[in-house]
Amino acid sequence: MTIKTTQLKRSFAVGSETVHALKGIDLNVEAGEFISIMGPSGSGKTTLMNIIGCLDTPTSGEYYLNNQLVNELDEDSLARIRNKEIGFVFQSFHLLAKNSALDNVLLPMKYAGANMADAAIRAKFVLDQVGLSDRINHGPSELSGGQQQRVAIARALVNKPSILFADEPTGNLDSKTGEDVMNLFKELNEEGQTIILITHEQDIAKQSKRTITIRDGLIETDKQI
Amino acid sequence: MLIMEAIYSAISSIRTNAVRSFLTSLAIIIGTAAVIAVIGLGSSANKALEEDIDDLGGRTLSVQPSQRRSGAVTMGINPLVIKDAEALTRNTEHDWKISPTMSGYRQVKFGNSNMRARVGGYLPIHFEVRGYDLEHGRLFNEDDNLGRRKVIVIGSKVPKELKTSVKNILNKNVTLGGVTYEVVGILEEEGSTGWQNPDEEFYIPILTAAQRVFGTERLDGINVGISNESNVDYVMMTIEQILRQKHNIGPGKDNDFRINDYSQFSELRNQATGIFTALIAGIAGISLVVGGIGVMNIMLVSVTERTREIGLRKALGATQKAIMLQFIVEAMLLCLIGGLVGIFIGTSFLFLLATLFDWPFAMPFSAIIGSITFSLLVGLFFGIWPAKRAARLDPATSLRHE
Repeated sequence: MTIKTTQLKRSFAVGSETVHALKGIDLNVEAGEFISIMGPSGSGKTTLMNIIGCLDTPTSGEYYLNNQLVNELDEDSLARIRNKEIGFVFQSFHLLAKNSALDNVLLPMKYAGANMADAAIRAKFVLDQVGLSDRINHGPSELSGGQQQRVAIARALVNKPSILFADEPTGNLDSKTGEDVMNLFKELNEEGQTIILITHEQDIAKQSKRTITIRDGLIETDKQI
Repeated sequence: MLIMEAIYSAISSIRTNAVRSFLTSLAIIIGTAAVIAVIGLGSSANKALEEDIDDLGGRTLSVQPSQRRSGAVTMGINPLVIKDAEALTRNTEHDWKISPTMSGYRQVKFGNSNMRARVGGYLPIHFEVRGYDLEHGRLFNEDDNLGRRKVIVIGSKVPKELKTSVKNILNKNVTLGGVTYEVVGILEEEGSTGWQNPDEEFYIPILTAAQRVFGTERLDGINVGISNESNVDYVMMTIEQILRQKHNIGPGKDNDFRINDYSQFSELRNQATGIFTALIAGIAGISLVVGGIGVMNIMLVSVTERTREIGLRKALGATQKAIMLQFIVEAMLLCLIGGLVGIFIGTSFLFLLATLFDWPFAMPFSAIIGSITFSLLVGLFFGIWPAKRAARLDPATSLRHE
């Protein structure tokens, strides 16, 4: 089991009120799944992604990642998990503007303390995998939106994560390049990569193998396609 | 690896905000330049003094006439004369070099040029006591002195002052007070001591000077060169005894001369320069601290601006330590660059002054290392707080920061 959560709850204090973003999520994810999480804004899908992406910790409940209880780990251990087990792809790419494609992809390996010679070989390999082997020395400003997102995907994959998280990955792309990116995700999933996609677009969600909808902090539907 | 990434990211960040980085480090630049220039100035002054003392090859005591008092009544100056110096020379107990001096400013003519210059009457031993070396021709000797010969040795800059060359003036005659003297030798360049310039002086045998130039036996003073091993107090006592006897000063009467230990005076001046240097350097150092506060301020701005970047780095696996390192390195690099530029400016300024005014140039290596270390420490100290703030940012909220 890659992900197992039981009664995951998360509440925030907003002023004097307490907002319950997640009200008890039970979610199991097997290795190799391609899941999309849908829901209107304010439903709690982002909070859920933050918690299972180890960017945030639940108020209560349990979260097992690769059979390890994550809830009570300290900040450094969470950083290590984010580094090794999780790859993030964001709507606005989040590339370092002054760094080349290669340097952006190298960054997670630097934080992993990898040998730089090996890291460069690995980084070039994943950039080739996403079809950018001829663009490795270009900076983000010299790349199209689709290419930038591919760099971000290469960066997410470079440490061979257990889960690839994509938060509205096609939100800033036109439909053609969005489709290319989705095809890339499908290819990666066919090679065995576990992918969790967060989206509000039905068309995108349909391309995954399992769709979960969230409303008011609870799972509303969970459908295998 | 992390440190490399931190340095890489710091350089990139400083380059991106080049103007802001420059303005931020300006206070560090000015502070370091001021500290470096002042310390350099102090050590240049010390070096000048040390060169003086080294030239003398040991210590020099200086005997000068002073007012004699009888009770509360001052009796006027009783001069030191050549015979006093001769009396000291006759003493064989001490291995000292007695060098009486008399000097004055006179007009000297050579061909159509003339200059007003210091003319000094000395014994041949004067050159040895002062550590002056000959470059051309010869020095005058004891025979020249006893024969009251009209010979003259000139400082290295005299030919130029008289609009001629070494070749044209050597063994030729110059006119001094209507009397012609043969230029027999030219000294090496000695450099100004601050009090007088030996390179522009005319040196003639003291007996010649007494008879033909100054018309008096009165001395400016007597320099007594002693080795470093000599017992200074005992030497002073002997000088006192001999001169008191020579001047017929009865018991209980005050001396009519003073004996100064020149090197002690130098040490005192050294100390004073040192204190002064430390004081000014300390004040200039305050501007480094003020600069540090500027760096801290700009680093706080930088952390806020780059909240999203920090969130991203954390999402990619950067630990708090890694983020902290990144921002501390950036603050330290900012200060280091300021420090290096400041050292360059301060050193250049001092070098310019030294060249312009013909001072010796001395920049202690320790001052440079010290400035670099201090600017790094300022960066470290004022970088810690902003870096801590960056490290503690929550990754989830930082990623969505606008």
